[in-house]
Amino acid sequence: MLLHINPSSGVPIYLQIENQVKHYIASGALKPGEALPSVRRVAADLRVNPNTAARAYQNLERDGLLRTVPGGRTYVAENPAGLLKSEKVRRLRPYARQIAVEGTQLRLDPREIVNLVQQELEALEVGNERIGNSNR
Amino acid sequence: MSELAIQTDKLVKAYSELKAVDELSLNVPRAAIYGFLGRNGAGKTSTLKMLLGLARPTAGGGTVLGFPLGPGQVAILERTAYVSETKVLYGTLTARELVRFTRGFYPRWSDDAVAKYARSFEIPMDRPFAKLSLGNRTKVCLLLALAQKADLLILDEPASGLDPVAVDEFQRVLVEDLASDGRTVLISSHQLADMERVAELVGVIDHGKLLLEARLDDIKSQYRLITAAGAALPHAKTADMVSVSASGDFCKYVLRQNAEAFAAGLRNQGATVTEVSPLGLREIFLELVRKEESCTSGNVGAKTASVSSPVL
Repeated sequence: MLLHINPSSGVPIYLQIENQVKHYIASGALKPGEALPSVRRVAADLRVNPNTAARAYQNLERDGLLRTVPGGRTYVAENPAGLLKSEKVRRLRPYARQIAVEGTQLRLDPREIVNLVQQELEALEVGNERIGNSNR
Repeated sequence: MSELAIQTDKLVKAYSELKAVDELSLNVPRAAIYGFLGRNGAGKTSTLKMLLGLARPTAGGGTVLGFPLGPGQVAILERTAYVSETKVLYGTLTARELVRFTRGFYPRWSDDAVAKYARSFEIPMDRPFAKLSLGNRTKVCLLLALAQKADLLILDEPASGLDPVAVDEFQRVLVEDLASDGRTVLISSHQLADMERVAELVGVIDHGKLLLEARLDDIKSQYRLITAAGAALPHAKTADMVSVSASGDFCKYVLRQNAEAFAAGLRNQGATVTEVSPLGLREIFLELVRKEESCTSGNVGAKTASVSSPVL
């Protein structure tokens, strides 16, 4: 897992870390059950405050994506996000709203906006397959 | 044991009429990395001197590691490592000799730390201090500070003159060796990009007063830049705003909180909100201290348009 953060971007660093880890998990680059580097390691490598790295890991654990065992190691959860469907939908809605607002402000056709989302989903799947193939 | 490594209570330092430090109430939790930021002459160094007992407060007080601050507080001095803004040590002594001289003062001195950091910072140990470049002098000061294994480190411009490799090593030491050990670090620095990486909390001082003290994450998730276009945009500065500036039909707002609500309000009025974006520490800092300079009583700053509009 190679993380890269931009401290001056305005996006809090813990959020940048969270988003990147989420992406690794969503694309299959990090598999369920796989171990993550320790908070201390991540903080040291990125040269960021350990509490920042800890916060990212804590949030991901709260969201059901990571699991920390007694003894300290953190793993990708076996069943990532054992959440209710309704909760998953609730979580995603703000992003959907943002796409709807942005797309409308840009005067894009609703169909074009939906297509865009479709393309991104397909790209993730392709990424997943590639990694699956390379592991055989 | 209190959870605050440093706590001041309306600390004042006055030089005749001038209040260099003006009722400053600082709160630095234990084990935090705290970025103490401010313009030149804002009162940072005066504050640090009072914490270390190098200057006597005009009024107010505080504690450092639980001990009341004041001159000659040995209890504070033997637990606190200090790197001063002016990297001055005895010019004729080499780093090796300075180590030998300094180690006797500090009960928890670590010779292993000296060896480790002399190597990792690539410090010339056998040249007289006065003959070293600024960057190397800074490294020697850092070495002496780190080897004390102090509970609290007060660092004034600790990266002064350091090359990028040394800055990187310094940041690694901060997060890997210091923060992970639970030591408290108060850094005063103008290098905002570097502070942004490692500081958990920041305190911004301007004209001796504390403008802001908060977790950096919170500041970044609350402060927003909003740019909007429209015919009847409000120009008046509200309590939520840090600044507002207008140019023709466009307006730029920097909000410290409730940005989404404000943007929604603008949209309801028919304005086009072109941007609601987060701000980096540098931008937040500039907006904060610039505005405070032009407003003396919290009224609308000099840069805003004179047209008055209903405040949302």
